[in-house]
Amino acid sequence: MATAILDNVTVDFPIYGSSHKNLRQTLFAGTAKLFGHEVPRQSRVVVRALENVTFELNDGDRLGLIGHNGAGKSTLLRVLAGVYAPTGGTIRLDGRISPLFITSPGLDLDDTGYENIKTCGMFLGMNASEIKARIVDIARFSELGEYLDLPVRTYSSGMLTRLGFAIATSIEPDILLLDEGLATGDVRFATQAEERLKHLIARSSILVLASHSDAMIKTMCNRCALLEKGHLISIGPVKQVIDLYHQRTKAQAAAIGGAVAIS
Amino acid sequence: MKPDYAIARADLIDGIFAFEIWTRLGWQEVKRRYRRTVFGPLWATLSLGIFISAISFVWAPLFNADVRTYLPYLTAGMVSWSFVAALITEGCASFTAGEGIIKQLNFPYSTFAFMVVWRNTIVLFHHLAILIVVYIALPERVSFNILLFIPGVLIVAVNGAWIVMLLGMVSARFRDIPPLIGNLVQVMLFITPIFWEPSQLGAKARYFVTPNYLYHLVDILRSPLLGDRPALLSYATTIVGAILGWAITLMIYARFRRRIAFWL
Repeated sequence: MATAILDNVTVDFPIYGSSHKNLRQTLFAGTAKLFGHEVPRQSRVVVRALENVTFELNDGDRLGLIGHNGAGKSTLLRVLAGVYAPTGGTIRLDGRISPLFITSPGLDLDDTGYENIKTCGMFLGMNASEIKARIVDIARFSELGEYLDLPVRTYSSGMLTRLGFAIATSIEPDILLLDEGLATGDVRFATQAEERLKHLIARSSILVLASHSDAMIKTMCNRCALLEKGHLISIGPVKQVIDLYHQRTKAQAAAIGGAVAIS
Repeated sequence: MKPDYAIARADLIDGIFAFEIWTRLGWQEVKRRYRRTVFGPLWATLSLGIFISAISFVWAPLFNADVRTYLPYLTAGMVSWSFVAALITEGCASFTAGEGIIKQLNFPYSTFAFMVVWRNTIVLFHHLAILIVVYIALPERVSFNILLFIPGVLIVAVNGAWIVMLLGMVSARFRDIPPLIGNLVQVMLFITPIFWEPSQLGAKARYFVTPNYLYHLVDILRSPLLGDRPALLSYATTIVGAILGWAITLMIYARFRRRIAFWL
């Protein structure tokens, strides 16, 4: 049984290095205060990436996240992954979270393919015996054969993609999180990859997938959530939410167009 | 921000149990630095050995010391110092170096701290090769006290772990800290008795040497290597330091663990 319950989740990103105080300013302000000077409190530069997002996911849910760039899809995925703690609201997760935002975490270009399967596998949450059990399958699917004994810096980018994909799709996920699917490479590999990805998703009990592809969301998801500027606009049946998204996009474009026409 | 001890504790425990990862990564990092070189990880040892022998023969007369006593003293001191110093300087980058992972996966951050400690422990044991050369030349320096080196390494490693966690955290937030610490460590090499003995300072030594925490960390490693027993004061200081250091680090970690991903 896996569940994810988000209650009024808000995430604020502090922006450092712009006008925000650095160590020197912190020290100066501190010393000045010590001597009784008034120090104007600098307003922190903060970007609100998510605001009061509330929803619940249960076994069998396949949620698609849609919205424009910067709407908060990736941030929401990373909150679910536990990368970012909500700055407001609460999140409750039950089950093993498997974020696949990068297929080969910890990849070392100087290591051989086999060594990297071990390193990346560990970062993706497999222990040594699980990796051992799967290494043959990973090697076979990657089709890299003897290349796996060579340092991965000798690989083409397509070969690296295949290796990463083979490793990432060999995990046993509970709550699977995907950002724009997974990179696949050439056409022939893409068809095999699609099959393997479907199996991975079938093994998971909850899927959350952020994507700009309507087709991908329609084939893989049974629920859909629309985000706009950090707000959850709507969550519901896939077709209905995608239609709403397109309507709103059109209306916004028209509004901008209208404004331009008037001026 | 309210402290959350449950998160801090879970992070530490998960980090300790992720030893498969940090032992592997620590070892790989050692190999990576000297890949495709003939001597491999022994390069670090080789350069330290060359440094020590050059300094010994020039500085021994400077201090009116016999090379036969100065060489082992400097060797044991530099080997111990480079362990302690590397923990401090490399600790500053422990979390920033893990940025690629920390921002993509939910991972016990303490793993990165343990990796730094493990990596430098491996390097330390490589450096012991220099001492073996010294022991062959001067066998009279070896005694059973050398066994005290092992608890010494343990105490320094436990201290190193909190130092790495604390500095890693502060450095992630305030990017001025790593260059500042790098500079301080460099200065400390000359203020801490490594090239000279505390006795050479006479009575003034206790003002400079006794409050120097790094001196005590070095002492519990260096004395056993020289066949001596470390001062009880050094053991007391470093054990109390480990407990206090961990307590402070945990307090800060509980408060800011959740913010680290935002700082990177």
